Amino acid sequence: MSRRYVFTWRRWINWLNLASAVIVFFVALPLYWLIASSFKIPRAIGASPPQYFPIPLSASNYTSAFLHYGFARYFLNSAIVSVAATMIVLAVGSLAGYGLGRLPMRGKASILLILLMIAVFPEIAVISPLYLLMRDLRWLDSFQALILPYTAFNLPFAIWIIRNYMLGIPREMEEAARIDGASALKTFWSIILPQALPGLFTAAIFTFTACWTEFLMALTFNNSNAFRTIPVGIALFGSPNVIPYGTIFAASVVATVPIGILVFVFRRSVISGLTSGAVKG
Amino acid sequence: MRLRDKVAEERPQNTGTFRGSNANQLARLGWMFTSPALVLVGAVTVFPILFSIAMSLSNVTVSGNGFTMSGFTFSNYSALVHSASWRYALGFTIFYTIATVVFEIIAGTAIALVLERLNNARGIMMAVLLIPWSMITIISAELWQYIFEGTYGVMQAIFGALGFGRPVFLGSPTSAIVSMMVADIWKTTPFVAIIVLAGLVMLPSDVFEAARVDGSSSWYTFWHITVPLLRPTITIAILFRILQAFGIFDLPFVLTGGGPGVATTSLAILGYKVMFENLDFGAGAAVATSAALLVLFGCLLALKAFRTQVGGEGSL
Repeated sequence: MSRRYVFTWRRWINWLNLASAVIVFFVALPLYWLIASSFKIPRAIGASPPQYFPIPLSASNYTSAFLHYGFARYFLNSAIVSVAATMIVLAVGSLAGYGLGRLPMRGKASILLILLMIAVFPEIAVISPLYLLMRDLRWLDSFQALILPYTAFNLPFAIWIIRNYMLGIPREMEEAARIDGASALKTFWSIILPQALPGLFTAAIFTFTACWTEFLMALTFNNSNAFRTIPVGIALFGSPNVIPYGTIFAASVVATVPIGILVFVFRRSVISGLTSGAVKG
Repeated sequence: MRLRDKVAEERPQNTGTFRGSNANQLARLGWMFTSPALVLVGAVTVFPILFSIAMSLSNVTVSGNGFTMSGFTFSNYSALVHSASWRYALGFTIFYTIATVVFEIIAGTAIALVLERLNNARGIMMAVLLIPWSMITIISAELWQYIFEGTYGVMQAIFGALGFGRPVFLGSPTSAIVSMMVADIWKTTPFVAIIVLAGLVMLPSDVFEAARVDGSSSWYTFWHITVPLLRPTITIAILFRILQAFGIFDLPFVLTGGGPGVATTSLAILGYKVMFENLDFGAGAAVATSAALLVLFGCLLALKAFRTQVGGEGSL
């Protein structure tokens, strides 16, 4: 029995598994530190030498994040802004993806290239005009102050993803619908859209993740406590002199879990989206 | 450029999508479907970029009630060129971008090569790699700030235990820059690894078969077959990463606040401070425009390089 055990144990020691273990170790260790620290008692957060395991386990950071730092409000704001922007991106982006993917438009190639460039453009380049515009419209500290720019900034990449899926749909179905006398909008709605669902789904995950994590515009446009999103809320926790790491990490775990589950469960969609510009495109 | 080639080659097929139907009518339909998106993107991205350029070329005064732009002037730009902080921010951003992207490409490719050889564990490994990628940058910045903390940070304890003394990670310019790179590399190398892995999986297996039959060593195969075939994929990864790294804001904003001093002040941090702390919108717009122009320049350069490359190899 023990010989057999040694044999299998040896079989697992090879450079490939060793390398994998090293990769997981470096990726996971900071994540462990985030989670472990969120469960430490306040005194243990600043302990030197550090407390490597959160004993005693405490949920006080979590209650403090929600009760004293109003984290529930930030979470709700992030959810409202991200869901609304994602819905609009899907509605507007699927139409544009269909047009750019399957309809004969002149200058299509240039539009797609310009969209790709906008997708990678630095936010700082547009922040001050948008800020002045929002101020004139009295939109600062409102949901639309983030929903509108998030929609516009995520549309280009979403259109790319959706368009790439639209290209793969067999043309016979479209032609059959046309011969049956279906209108263009009806063809789009009942033939194309159902086929492109995986693409819409991938675009939705990307848009939602981008909105959930965006910081610069949220910081600049929505600085009042009532409209702060999670990243701004977490960045501005505490005073300049005291950084409440325990509370920050508790809030961080709560903010990371939904997006972590989303990405973990739908990792195939995420990976296909990440590579759609690079490999398939 | 692949993308354009691909688009171009699809155009004739598209015109013939519906036999017997009017191509002009379909084109009009296409514009109708596309215009909401184009109007939205134009109004919220293209228009502000142009407006920002206009602001950078005039005297802007912001008051409580509104703002006024007057006159045409290059003064914002001449102030920029003569400003030591802009020159430092430019140099820092370029250096930082090159250093992190080079490291990420090497490490990301190595990770992709390991993952490609895994069978059962690959899916789980990729899911683990996606967590840092999907994380809020502000959270990872707070986390690394805690790790690098000067009196009780865990990195201090690790360095102490290994006998390297107790460096003040975020307290001196060089170590703050290196610490920021470590935090950035942790978060973005997985992105590179996943893109490169997708490229690796799609490589034609018969080439590797032939190399094996010919008795090519694995080192030789890697440098003379894998790397050249992967080049288009790696180019895309480099392009995306350079453009992201060039606009870096969230990480230094929280991790170091641009300091100590101005050591980690990127162009985006500088632009933000000039605009929203000094309330100098003209100069801030000039900083932002300088970053945007460099990104645009990089884009055009990369597209050209990419197109010639694909023209030569084509197959992938």
